[in-house]
Amino acid sequence: MQKSVVLKGYKDGYEIELKADAAFSQILIELTELFERLKHEKEKNDEKIAFNIKTGARLLTIDQKHEIEKIVDNYPNFLVHRIVSDVINTKEALQIMDSKNVHVNGDVIRNGQVKDITGDVLFLGNLHQGGVLRATGNIYVMGSVSGIIHAGFDSNVRSIILGDISGAQQLRIGDLVDIVDEEKVTAGTDSLVFVNDLHVLEFTSIDKLKSLRPKIFNQVGGF
Amino acid sequence: MGKAIVITSGKGGVGKTTTTANLGTALALLGKRVCLVDLDIGLRNLDVILGLDNRIIYNIVDVAQGTAKLHQALIKDKRFDDKLYLLPAAQNTDKSALEPEEVKAIVEELKPDFDYILLDCPAGIEQGFMNAVAGADEAIVVSTPEISSVRDADRVVGLLEQKELTEPPMLVISRIRRHMMNDGDMMDVDEITHHLSIKLIGIVFDDDEVISYSNKGEPIVLNEKNPASQGYRNIARRLEGETVPLMTIRETEKGGFMKKFISWFKK
Repeated sequence: MQKSVVLKGYKDGYEIELKADAAFSQILIELTELFERLKHEKEKNDEKIAFNIKTGARLLTIDQKHEIEKIVDNYPNFLVHRIVSDVINTKEALQIMDSKNVHVNGDVIRNGQVKDITGDVLFLGNLHQGGVLRATGNIYVMGSVSGIIHAGFDSNVRSIILGDISGAQQLRIGDLVDIVDEEKVTAGTDSLVFVNDLHVLEFTSIDKLKSLRPKIFNQVGGF
Repeated sequence: MGKAIVITSGKGGVGKTTTTANLGTALALLGKRVCLVDLDIGLRNLDVILGLDNRIIYNIVDVAQGTAKLHQALIKDKRFDDKLYLLPAAQNTDKSALEPEEVKAIVEELKPDFDYILLDCPAGIEQGFMNAVAGADEAIVVSTPEISSVRDADRVVGLLEQKELTEPPMLVISRIRRHMMNDGDMMDVDEITHHLSIKLIGIVFDDDEVISYSNKGEPIVLNEKNPASQGYRNIARRLEGETVPLMTIRETEKGGFMKKFISWFKK
């Protein structure tokens, strides 16, 4: 019969593969057997051995992980380093996609409203005075903005704000706030706002983007 | 089956109650059956403007609490046959005396008997606002051409969009001073409409007579020649689906010849 728990040795350590098509109860039994056997072989030296556990196309629940950990705990010579799977939840996957994508948004954000966006946003809508546009990533402005723009909410200071932001009331990146006035930005021109090495908001022209945040160009257009 | 329209603004003193009274009267003059509901509980005014204040026996809170039947509380305005009714607000309690569900139930009860139910919303966005909006199918946002009023209107439009109204909110710009707008000292009608990005359903000029008529307990709409009155009449016609051009803001020069003559003389 084919084993549902397979021990593999690599250059940099051991790995236990749990077959994704086997029953979980069977895996627990075989896992115990495996550790019993290893315990006898290993008894001579008391060096601790760490394993990675690979679950293939199976996603373990928290309870199942606990059960595995409980078995391993019985054998003081072994410990689980990491449990890895080839698959993730759809929800989790969508979240990752959400945070990596550039969202195109054309809303009217009115006085008192807060628009929260995960990831980057290309804003084509209308942000009124008193409204807040808040994204966890970068904000590229093409629409008209006269409210508050908050990029990198709530702690990503690598985020930037780009576009004609001369009409905005405030600019925020991460935990920093700046009040927009005419000295910093001229109306009708595109600016680039970022957090500099001194942790201060800095206004500059758009052509500095390539040198300041070269990674943005790998990111735009999907991943 | 009638439709319920809430008249709201956020900011106080922009002409919600005046608009409710005059729009209601204008619709009644067009032959529609209209019921005005005053929801400004504790600070009722609508009855005063209509000159019906001394005829209040029961009010909306009595109806909600079951102490009076709806038809007992309704006040008929005798000037308009059987067309215009008022459901007055209570004066001896506050906004928390009503629940949104109660307002909704009362409005539903009124709908079969009327073509229009106009809900006069109190200023602010608290309980009173929630009550008024709960009963409404559509909304009219009143704003003056002042930045503070427009800002509040913007906030209110945002709140209204979250509610599930059958139609997007409509805009009335009231208290327009023509000479100020022409001189560029006041926000432009187009500018306000564009900023709020909702449908403009009418403009109303500021006129001294509006106040003097209100003081007499008569809606200004009854004076056909008054420019403010024309504004309200036009709104009523637009609500009825007619296409009416917007009134021109440019002032007509009074006594053209003499004025020209004098100005020529001054040179």
